[in-house]
Amino acid sequence: MTTEPMIPTAVLDEVRRDLRPVRPLPAPLVRALVVLPVGLALLAGLPLFWGLRRNIGELAPWASWGLSGLESLAGLLIVGAALSEAVPGRRLSARAVTATLFAGALVPITLTLVTSWLAPAEESPAVRIRFAIECFDQIAVWAMPAVAVPAWLAARAWPERPAVAGAFYGLGTGVMADAGARLFCWVSSPLHVLLSHGGAILAVTICGAVVATLIDRRRPRPTISDRGRG
Amino acid sequence: MAKDAAGPAHGEPMAEEDRLVPLMIAYQAGRLDAFEALYLALADDVRRFFAASVLEPSTAHDLAQQTFLELHRARHTYRPPRPVRPWVFGIAVNLRRRHRREAMARARREADAPATMAEGSGPPPDVVATVAVQRALEQIPAGRRHAWLLHHVHGFSFEEIGARLGIGAGAAKLRSSRAMRGLRALLVPWKRDDD
Repeated sequence: MTTEPMIPTAVLDEVRRDLRPVRPLPAPLVRALVVLPVGLALLAGLPLFWGLRRNIGELAPWASWGLSGLESLAGLLIVGAALSEAVPGRRLSARAVTATLFAGALVPITLTLVTSWLAPAEESPAVRIRFAIECFDQIAVWAMPAVAVPAWLAARAWPERPAVAGAFYGLGTGVMADAGARLFCWVSSPLHVLLSHGGAILAVTICGAVVATLIDRRRPRPTISDRGRG
Repeated sequence: MAKDAAGPAHGEPMAEEDRLVPLMIAYQAGRLDAFEALYLALADDVRRFFAASVLEPSTAHDLAQQTFLELHRARHTYRPPRPVRPWVFGIAVNLRRRHRREAMARARREADAPATMAEGSGPPPDVVATVAVQRALEQIPAGRRHAWLLHHVHGFSFEEIGARLGIGAGAAKLRSSRAMRGLRALLVPWKRDDD
């Protein structure tokens, strides 16, 4: 087939220059498995670093580690949704976006209520604000650097809506961090968990959206004269 | 769970996609003839997509070429046997978004130049940041353009503009009104074409 005259020489030269075979990206959920070690680090790292919650004995293993494991899994699935959204032409439908956000909120809320029911523990009013700030900080400090891994994965594709993809991987990472946080934070009052832990998840979600937007804006632009760029 | 992005050739028969998918697989395997065939199959649609979105044909042409350069760089992100067109037009949508963002930034930068003259007048309103107005403004002679911007965007009186530009208030008014007439002449046909 002789079609070269119809294709701009510069485009053809660029393609010829780097025509090595490439392997298609794996499915989003398979790619999300790269984030699994991050999820495990958040799940185990937070309670190991800060110590297990003092009333962990009141929770059966299924209610402590088991439910946290499920929350981590939910976070991983949300990251998978983000990686799907990141591929050009694969925008999630409005319904899927809503469902993902709903799941991201529902899972921590449900676990909060279950934990509060199984092991009710409330902080004294004197330390309420301090505890809230500490939990927020601890979750955010662990989760925000962890956002880098899904951010790198998503940037390998090129999301049409970077803020949406970023918010999703931020949300997923925040949910994974909360899975670890509920193992060190002994306070199970819904007010504390929803405001402090939920606030941290929200902050990580916003962080993800900002990171993805910045990455998108800094993505190098190939131009016809820019032959050396890969 | 996912919805494919709509491309301009959304109504293409499936047979076309059936032809494109093996080409894309061959292209990912490193075959130049597959890229050429893909280019021939898609280039016109991509060009039309940009022609419908941007004002200048030359810009549409450049963006179409950039789409294929980006496509080449991102060819690993295509997952067979998914439809090829939504993926290609997803890349085109990204390029159009980037192009618009850059055009807006350029328009803002240029609108900031007279804003510097009018110290303390605050940021210009969104009207200046629209690409169409910006492009039309670029075609207006500088003296008229500054008078128009200072009056209609920054809200200065003609006396103040005259004092800033070193001309009389009447001359400032005349320049602004001529700029307005020029803008109308430039923008009305554009609007009609776009509709």
